[in-house]
Amino acid sequence: MDIIVLTKRVPVTQEEELKIAPDGTSVDLSRVPFRMNDWDNYAVEEAVRLCEKQGGVITGVSIGDMESDEVLRRAIAMGAKDGCLIESQGVVNDPFTRALLLKGFIEKENLSFNMIFGGVQAEDDQFGVTCGILAAMLGLPFASMVIGIDEIQNDAIILRRELEGGIQERIKIKMPCVLSIQSGINEPRYVSIMGIRKASKVERKYFKADKYLDGGAGSLIDVIRWFYPPKKEGAVILQGELEDTCKQLLGILKEKGVLQ
Amino acid sequence: MSYTLIISEVRRGVFEERNLDSLGLAHMLKKPVYMLLPDGQYPVNERWSDVLIKTDIKEELFTAPKNICLLLDKVIERFSMPDVIILTHSSSGTECASYIAGYFKLPVITDVNGMDKDAKTFYKSYYSDKVYGEFAVPGQGPVVITVRSGAFRGSIEERTHASKEETIVGVFLDSDRAFIEFVEEEKTEIDITKAEFLVSVGRGVGNKDELPAYDELTGVLNATLSCSRPVVDKLWLPKARQVGQSGKTVRPKVYLAMGISGAFQHIAGMKDSECIIAVNKDPEAPIFQYAHYGIVGDMNKVRDKLKELLKG
Amino acid sequence: MQEQAASRVLVCIQCGKCTGGCPESGRTPFNIRMLMRKRQFKYAIEEALPWYCTACNTCTLRCPRDVKPSEVVIEIRSSMVENGDIPVTIQKALESTFVQKNPWGKPRSKRGDWAEKLDFKVPHISETEHKRLLFSCCIHAYDPRCMVIPVNVATILNKAGYEFGILGEEECCCGNEIRRIGELGLFEELMEENKANFEEYGVKEIIALSPHCMNTMKNEYGDMGIKVMHYTEVLSNLIKEGALKTERPLKGGIIYHDPCFLGKQNKVFVEPRDILKSLNNVEVREFARSRETSLCCEGGGGRMFFDVEVPYQRNGEIRVADAQKAGADTIATACPFCLMNLEDPAKEKGLFVKDISEILMEVI
Ligand SMILES: Cc1cc2nc3c(=O)[nH]c(=O)nc-3n(C[C@H](O)[C@H](O)[C@H](O)COP(=O)(O)OP(=O)(O)OC[C@H]3O[C@@H](n4cnc5c(N)ncnc54)[C@H](O)[C@@H]3O)c2cc1C
Ligand code: SF4
Ligand code: SF4
Repeated sequence: MDIIVLTKRVPVTQEEELKIAPDGTSVDLSRVPFRMNDWDNYAVEEAVRLCEKQGGVITGVSIGDMESDEVLRRAIAMGAKDGCLIESQGVVNDPFTRALLLKGFIEKENLSFNMIFGGVQAEDDQFGVTCGILAAMLGLPFASMVIGIDEIQNDAIILRRELEGGIQERIKIKMPCVLSIQSGINEPRYVSIMGIRKASKVERKYFKADKYLDGGAGSLIDVIRWFYPPKKEGAVILQGELEDTCKQLLGILKEKGVLQ
Repeated sequence: MSYTLIISEVRRGVFEERNLDSLGLAHMLKKPVYMLLPDGQYPVNERWSDVLIKTDIKEELFTAPKNICLLLDKVIERFSMPDVIILTHSSSGTECASYIAGYFKLPVITDVNGMDKDAKTFYKSYYSDKVYGEFAVPGQGPVVITVRSGAFRGSIEERTHASKEETIVGVFLDSDRAFIEFVEEEKTEIDITKAEFLVSVGRGVGNKDELPAYDELTGVLNATLSCSRPVVDKLWLPKARQVGQSGKTVRPKVYLAMGISGAFQHIAGMKDSECIIAVNKDPEAPIFQYAHYGIVGDMNKVRDKLKELLKG
Repeated sequence: MQEQAASRVLVCIQCGKCTGGCPESGRTPFNIRMLMRKRQFKYAIEEALPWYCTACNTCTLRCPRDVKPSEVVIEIRSSMVENGDIPVTIQKALESTFVQKNPWGKPRSKRGDWAEKLDFKVPHISETEHKRLLFSCCIHAYDPRCMVIPVNVATILNKAGYEFGILGEEECCCGNEIRRIGELGLFEELMEENKANFEEYGVKEIIALSPHCMNTMKNEYGDMGIKVMHYTEVLSNLIKEGALKTERPLKGGIIYHDPCFLGKQNKVFVEPRDILKSLNNVEVREFARSRETSLCCEGGGGRMFFDVEVPYQRNGEIRVADAQKAGADTIATACPFCLMNLEDPAKEKGLFVKDISEILMEVI
């Protein structure tokens, strides 16, 4: 079972106040720390668990600048055999371009695989489509939101996808295939600093991105501006008598879709 | 011909409410609206779209990414390429959107929650909603879009005429991915981290005898009961229900905190909830700094009133 | 190191002196003597067990054979860390510390924000003459309840005309808890980063606000040629020298709780008490279990991030009950973890828990 796992280095922004440049063309991430995308962490863990059971090798692949080497080291520390960095100039905002790059890379470098894993989405852009686009371009079957792998058969795999409202769908999908892995499918192991130091001794491979685009489509979509969403200032205090406030509360629950 | 195509989402026979946001956006785009439906009868308002395209594809197969592309081949053959293809931003909606983009080599923007007035650019959240990006599609459409639930349903405008019905049958479906069954998530033990709606009680509940009534409340609300640490320390609720730094980290759609002050250690476990609602008798309680909505009042009275309203 | 540990365990005579003083043994499934036994015979250890230890160090101080049971616990944890199999809440704390340099995953850029609450400007350490560094604990920097402590101490030092500086967002977690959790690689990284800063800015003295930070910088950072003190040592001196005057009287009975990392581990018993005794009108009471035998608050050794599965009567509750019996209405302490662990049960009983700096602010 050879698995390629796509990993991305993302800024950790949950707690940060982000600043947008006055002209709206960029978001200042210079003081924000980075780490492996959380969903990819689950994807690597799932791949490692599968290969521990079934045998096979895992290759981590990442697109980004040299700093992204960090997530490959982590993937290796978790159990990947090696890591490939597709070095790109600047950030690739369009997931289509990202998928195109990956397709070119996988085909040109003749990476062999039974499955390609990625996280459901990246914490930074929250697009959630790179794996699906890649699958379609490679002509492979695809499933997203994979929350459980139930059985591996000869040429197929039985898995569960997470749907809404606590419901899952069990499907059978032929290999080779592309799966995007949902958080919560497993509990990713802790990777210690010593583990990462050891992993640093495993050589990673570096490739230049421009080789794989075939002069083809640059971006199909462009970010033209960044802006702040409407700001919330503390809680909206519901006003009125007990009955009114409770009615408003039920209204909010309905609006949020947790009450029928 | 220029039109907007909606790929509707049906789950276990139910026409999902999220589809209303797809419709809302489609109406804002001011082009003829075509809506694609799987096999079956659904309570669809006939003035929502101009054309309803019915198929003989069962719901479970309809939402599989390759199948939807094969179906789209036929749709395009019959009606030409749409300008915009809209899906819901859901598990299957996004899955299909990505595959469609790859299959037809189309630009895709997901989780769209706004649009400029000329319908030229789309807004989408970035960095856990801290920043929005405005995206343009430089080439000539079509573009694939998934819409955030709740973002556009207010823009639905009924048409003056009922929709025309078209039917597409005989699509040759994909055999590489097969649907087996729907499964309910196993709920062996209560897992508060998986709940979409948590009602969380704190020390403000007062005493143990008040708790059964919260159990009843969560019952009628179809919510799950969680709590702060003092409630666990007093053995009023089991440890597995504790939210916080030394308990569980939760991110439900709604976190209703009742009688919880909002200590740092508690906030650490629930701050990423989509919507936080606090009930506290102290208007200065720190929890209100993190909440989206608040009620200043007695939690037990709020509990009883809610139960009364829900029963009535 | 592994071998050393093994040989140390081998000299254990199972006398049980460690268990006798251990704040966890006997009340939880944890038993430190039995853990040493299991280690001697290389028996399997239930996975939750090693996480009960609060790193209070009582066992190590009492052991007649110098087994250093608390260090053995760290070694057991360390192998679990290297295997990647640790409780999720601890894992989160470690991952956050790796990324943000504090276990709560709060932005590093906000680490120095407490200083904005002052009505004067605290200089960066590089701009000071005496190169005295005020070092805050992660919890001081981010927990609103504890943030008052650096604000207070800075205000008091300023009032006494005592020059000092801070590192602001360059400060990073001291690593005391990280080492005790067993993540030795991460501990090293944090230590190196802090030491590099100390060296770059020529730090001569460190005034640590938390006994935990003081402990590791004093005893585990190696010889830095820097004098490391707890803030109570500095303030008690200033009071003695007359640079700081406590004026307004206080009412009520105060009882002092010795933090393990300040008292039994670093023998700072007198200074905090001297400060309290200098207050007008105040009666300073003592717990029956005080000084070397002080009862641990259960906040150390990673326990800020790990709760045992089966709740039991926390030491904090016992401590509050004891304080009440001793006729005190305020428990004074000098460690943020003690403060947090005692305050919750104290609230229930109507007692106050205050950091010494909070008490001083009321009287100067
Ligand atoms: C190491 C450590 C780890 C911790 N881990 C956690 C953790 O994982 N999770 C956690 O929750 N805490 C944790 N704590 C405890 C935390 O610091 C707080 O003490 C705790 O969260 C307070 O719980 P509370 O808000 O329910 O109680 P309180 O802080 O006492 O707040 C009660 C609130 O209820 C309100 N109230 C009272 N009566 C009513 C009424 N009738 N109607 C409406 N409102 C009312 C009050 O105004 C008050 O705001 C931890 C503490 C430590 C030291
Ligand atoms: S005190 Fe020392 S010698 Fe005695 S049982 Fe404990 S570890 Fe062994
Ligand atoms: S350090 Fe303290 S808690 Fe840990 S084993 Fe020793 S006595 Fe017990």
